[in-house]
Amino acid sequence: MVMKIDTMIRHTREAINSLRRNTWMVFAACSAVAVTLLIFGIFLVFAFNINYLASELDKQVAIRASVSVSATDDDIDQLKGQLEKEPEVKKVTFVPKEEGLKQMKAQWGDDAHFLSGLEEDNPLPDTFVIEAKNPQQTERLAKKIDQNYRLIDHTEYGEGVTDKLLGLSSWVRNMVLVFGLGLAALAAFLISNTIKLTIFARRREIEIMRLVGASNWFIRWPFFIEGGVIGILGAIVPVTVVLVGYNAVVNILEANNAYSFFKLMGMWPLSFYVAGLTTLLGVMIGVWGSLISIRRFLRV
Amino acid sequence: MLSFIDFLWKSTLAYEGDIVIEMHDVYKVYKNGVKALNGINVKIDQGEFVYVVGPSGAGKSTFIKLMYREEKPTHGVILINGVNVKRVRDWKIPYLRRNIGVVFQDYKLLPNMTAYENVAFAMEAVEAPKRKIKRRVHEMLELVGLYDRMNAYPSQLSGGEQQRVSIARAMVNNPSFLIADEPTGNLDPENSWDIMYLLEEINSRGTTVVMATHNKEIVNTMRKRVIAVEQGVIVRDEEQGEYGYED
Ligand SMILES: Nc1ncnc2c1ncn2[C@@H]1O[C@H](COP(=O)(O)OP(=O)(O)OP(=O)(O)O)[C@@H](O)[C@H]1O
Ligand SMILES: [Mg+2]
Repeated sequence: MVMKIDTMIRHTREAINSLRRNTWMVFAACSAVAVTLLIFGIFLVFAFNINYLASELDKQVAIRASVSVSATDDDIDQLKGQLEKEPEVKKVTFVPKEEGLKQMKAQWGDDAHFLSGLEEDNPLPDTFVIEAKNPQQTERLAKKIDQNYRLIDHTEYGEGVTDKLLGLSSWVRNMVLVFGLGLAALAAFLISNTIKLTIFARRREIEIMRLVGASNWFIRWPFFIEGGVIGILGAIVPVTVVLVGYNAVVNILEANNAYSFFKLMGMWPLSFYVAGLTTLLGVMIGVWGSLISIRRFLRV
Repeated sequence: MLSFIDFLWKSTLAYEGDIVIEMHDVYKVYKNGVKALNGINVKIDQGEFVYVVGPSGAGKSTFIKLMYREEKPTHGVILINGVNVKRVRDWKIPYLRRNIGVVFQDYKLLPNMTAYENVAFAMEAVEAPKRKIKRRVHEMLELVGLYDRMNAYPSQLSGGEQQRVSIARAMVNNPSFLIADEPTGNLDPENSWDIMYLLEEINSRGTTVVMATHNKEIVNTMRKRVIAVEQGVIVRDEEQGEYGYED
């Protein structure tokens, strides 16, 4: 399938001529692709953000293990070593009680004055912040540490939030998969009809090409390009709508402090992924559509 | 790796140069049950000029279609240069066709292209290098005597001229085998003779010509090998033969 640039240009010109000839069919096919891709794009935005949120939360579901007040500095060093050897453990950070108080103050923000004066007689314990290699092991690891370590008073971690989020994410994904596949099939069908018209319009040329020995790929290429271009054209509107919409939501959330806990993924990597994946899917639907027609009507 | 390249080379170019077509006990039954050919045995060598004659519906066109693999035999073996065509993979068929030119009674020119473009189209379709196309197309239009009319559209050309364009197109990729199914069927005697002189000229340059025809005058005047087909079988095969029918 090595192809000369000349040939490629020729195929592209053929494809564009056909697109121009069937404006209304192309418009209908593009619209169907656009609807499919709009849904896909919105889903992508959700999926990326849910995953993002989940991974942000995962960082927060580290286990906090309070060290008994009776532990000496040596004990603490030893404990750290032992914890690090646990197979499920990814990372152990020691947070002395002074540090713990500082963090708490930072979290409380305006209300931190309630905590002033505690530096003298800090009631917080020293803690280990322990991250599990796999967030799903967090619960088991916390129990294990609680039971096995004499010098750890108790352990706590953020329960269940991540699981629920990931559960939601996979539910949304399945919905979109079923619904989106139906829409994609419809879009591919419309594209295949457009291609069918082109094949019909060019049937004499195709007959001659076969007669003089044009290779099958030479005959097929323009139709693949035509389908692919319909896919790309169909991607323009949904990509724009999704990204502009998302940008607006991000701006609103940032401007309004009331939602400050709701942290969305930034525009930059997301817009890149969404535009890329959506366009790719558009092209795939387009090529799928041409494939249907090529197999049914071209016999090459 | 070397053997793979070798394989590609052979599979694409196996048909360059001389072509010898053989049919052994070939039958063709169409999907609708019509038995078009009923046991054909024939061999056509490189450089021959062959008329295929016979009554309407005898199977002449079917016989010709088998040669360029437009139709497949229902039974029997077709050998091209000793290779069983049935065994040739579908994707290689285009490469076989490049060495077989085909001409029809109704010319099959593309109406929205000029004479030049129609001929060039056949070279573009096989991805010939651009710089070669112009020279070769001019050469072909000169051969068929239409160099001056190269910018005319088919609708601006007479039937005879259109048929000559279609011959130029069939020959432009330099095939060693030219098949013509009633090329003079739509032409008056004068134009028919022009076409015949052209085909004879092409044949004299070494190209095999196989031509189905109903033209008694031509066959009886320009004496060549004659294969007569009736009801799907060859009933006569003579060098310098005669037409032999009264229509
Ligand atoms: N594609 C086809 N499908 C079904 N039957 C066909 C097909 N092509 C030809 N036939 C039948 O096969 C038989 C032989 O047809 P063919 O065209 O080979 O005859 P022919 O000798 O070329 O006739 P003519 O001189 O009229 O062109 C005829 O009965 C015809 O109706
Ligand atoms: Mg016929």
